[in-house]
Amino acid sequence: MSSSINGATGGSGTNTAPARPLGELIFAGMIVCVGVVGFVAGAQIPIPPSAGVVGPRAFPFIVSGIMVAIGIGLVIQLLRGHTGAAEEGEDVDPDVKTDWLTVGKLVGFLALHIALIVPLGWPVAAAILFFGAAWSLGAKPWWRNAVIAVVLALILQFVFAGLLGVSLPAGFLLEGVEIFNG
Amino acid sequence: MALLEGFSVAMQPMYLLYALGGVLVGTAVGVLPGIGPAMTVALLMPITYSLDPTAAIIVFAGIYYGGMYGGSTTSILLNTPGESASIVTALEGNKMAKAGRGAAALATAAIGSFIAGTVATVLLSFVAPYVAEFAVQIGPTEYVALMIVAFLTVGALLGASVLRGLASLALGLFIALIGVDALTAQQRYTFGNPFLADGIDVVLVAVALFAVGEALYVASRLRHGPVKVIPVAGRWTNWMRKEDWKRSWKPWLRGTFIGFPVGTIPAGGADVATFLSYASERKLAKGERKKQFGKGAIEGVAGPESANNAAAAGVLVPLLTLGIPTTATAAMMLVAFQRYNIQPGPLLFEVEGALVWALIASLYVGNLMLLVLNLPLVGIWVKILQIPRPYLYSGILVFAAMGAFSVNFTPVDVFVLLVIGVLGFFMRRYGYPIAPMVVGLILGPIFEDQLRRSLAISQGDPTALVSTPIAATIYVVLIVIFVLSFWLRKRQRAMESEVVEETPAAAVDLKEGGK
Repeated sequence: MSSSINGATGGSGTNTAPARPLGELIFAGMIVCVGVVGFVAGAQIPIPPSAGVVGPRAFPFIVSGIMVAIGIGLVIQLLRGHTGAAEEGEDVDPDVKTDWLTVGKLVGFLALHIALIVPLGWPVAAAILFFGAAWSLGAKPWWRNAVIAVVLALILQFVFAGLLGVSLPAGFLLEGVEIFNG
Repeated sequence: MALLEGFSVAMQPMYLLYALGGVLVGTAVGVLPGIGPAMTVALLMPITYSLDPTAAIIVFAGIYYGGMYGGSTTSILLNTPGESASIVTALEGNKMAKAGRGAAALATAAIGSFIAGTVATVLLSFVAPYVAEFAVQIGPTEYVALMIVAFLTVGALLGASVLRGLASLALGLFIALIGVDALTAQQRYTFGNPFLADGIDVVLVAVALFAVGEALYVASRLRHGPVKVIPVAGRWTNWMRKEDWKRSWKPWLRGTFIGFPVGTIPAGGADVATFLSYASERKLAKGERKKQFGKGAIEGVAGPESANNAAAAGVLVPLLTLGIPTTATAAMMLVAFQRYNIQPGPLLFEVEGALVWALIASLYVGNLMLLVLNLPLVGIWVKILQIPRPYLYSGILVFAAMGAFSVNFTPVDVFVLLVIGVLGFFMRRYGYPIAPMVVGLILGPIFEDQLRRSLAISQGDPTALVSTPIAATIYVVLIVIFVLSFWLRKRQRAMESEVVEETPAAAVDLKEGGK
């Protein structure tokens, strides 16, 4: 049992789930890559004659160097089997497998939201985002979800655009309604 | 005297209302899993456009303190293992609740938080001006040293893995570099993209990491089924028996005096403070009471909860006097100051004295409000705790999307939100702490500025960075902090497994909670 506690307090992380290291390795590798890109792109920052002893390149080089060093360190750690301890939370079930489908749906609905803000207006895009996200997460029944989504979107539009003057585009559906426009 | 003037501002009805709003929102987000005060301050950053600085800072300070109170309610009443940061204290409170003593646990947590918060605010009012006076004399070299302390302690000591914490910090520093260099006006890492030339907004990154990253991560492993909250019985006036008072008051005070200094030195934050308090209470307990540890000892709730709140006040000392945030929420408060072109630091007490003292006065007031909100009105928070999770996380996403869109009113920002949110998801999944990234993002530009200044003074000689006596002392202290905290961490692990092994029931419960 003490193993679960060690995991919870996030010891050095000794659980060796077989599937995870690959993803972790890719992530650590990406940190190395960002560092390398930082070096290459950093070398192209122009140094104006006005620059003092320490120009605009120095700090980017330091940060890139740290990233490369840490990234390599992480890769070595991972190859030795020291994986990270995933974050804990009250709503996080440590015993279930990653539900990639739900994560994908949420990302999809956020992308849809981004695409819809301009053509349909913010409230419509927000209601669709809320409805879609709650549906992905298992909200039932669907009609209650839909009602909450629409009401929430309208309240936010009213409070932030109507009252506080934040320029959220109301969209063609609500364009004529004064309380939804700043 | 200055404090009295602060009170005269903070007691104005308008500011009292703002403080009340702040602590209400703060408690609510503290209670709700998945939302924290840092994320809330980030999401509410747009209010800095319409409120005067004093009002906005009072709101944010209320959220900051409120979050501390709300968190204990969740760990005591929610039938799941709490956050790892307070796993042991959560264990005591949770065991008490299951044994029908939840009311006493809530009460000792709330009263302890109040006492600790108030005493620590008194300490803050006395200590901060002296620190500020000292800080006025230090130059860029010392600043560089102090910020290195902040970076390394926040990056290497807060999370479970040193390398992951530092990687998170470096990512933050890197994102902060994107945009135009303040000293030479050269574009850095913009790749010719006009959008990147403006830099990536700090608030956008913070909201993405805290809100979107968290929502995606929780969604990937969501605990399904109804939210189980342990019921609390009785009128709140009867919650603490005479014996509970007798057993609680010493841990409250001890927790306060452990928490405040630990919060002031960025040696691992509230996490270390709660553990130190828990360890000392367990050590000091005798006979029957010692056996209760791990099964619901009231001292194990009273001490750590006080330490937690005192540490929160302690964190404000380096934030206000040096401009150095050591937690994610403090970092977001620094951003709020910057939005008003106010730079927290040694001069803050001179230049913006009225604002600082109004802020400190509002902390006293806020603590009192929080005591009332958390004792008689705890029922409200229990209701909030039961919000169905699909709606909670969808709501978080909608708010985050709105916050991102209203940075510049372009969907591009929401796209950046999504990208950095996905980054935050993977960071959580692979055990990278988020706070160092936010601190790096915010302190990075200030650090670079001071570093370049001190190197300009020394004509590029890097040894100058360690050659002044104060700077050298700071680095020595840094080494001491590191040695101490690694020792502490070893002790903490040993003790946590000890507590759990001694009480097999607790272990089984944790497992059940996991299902």
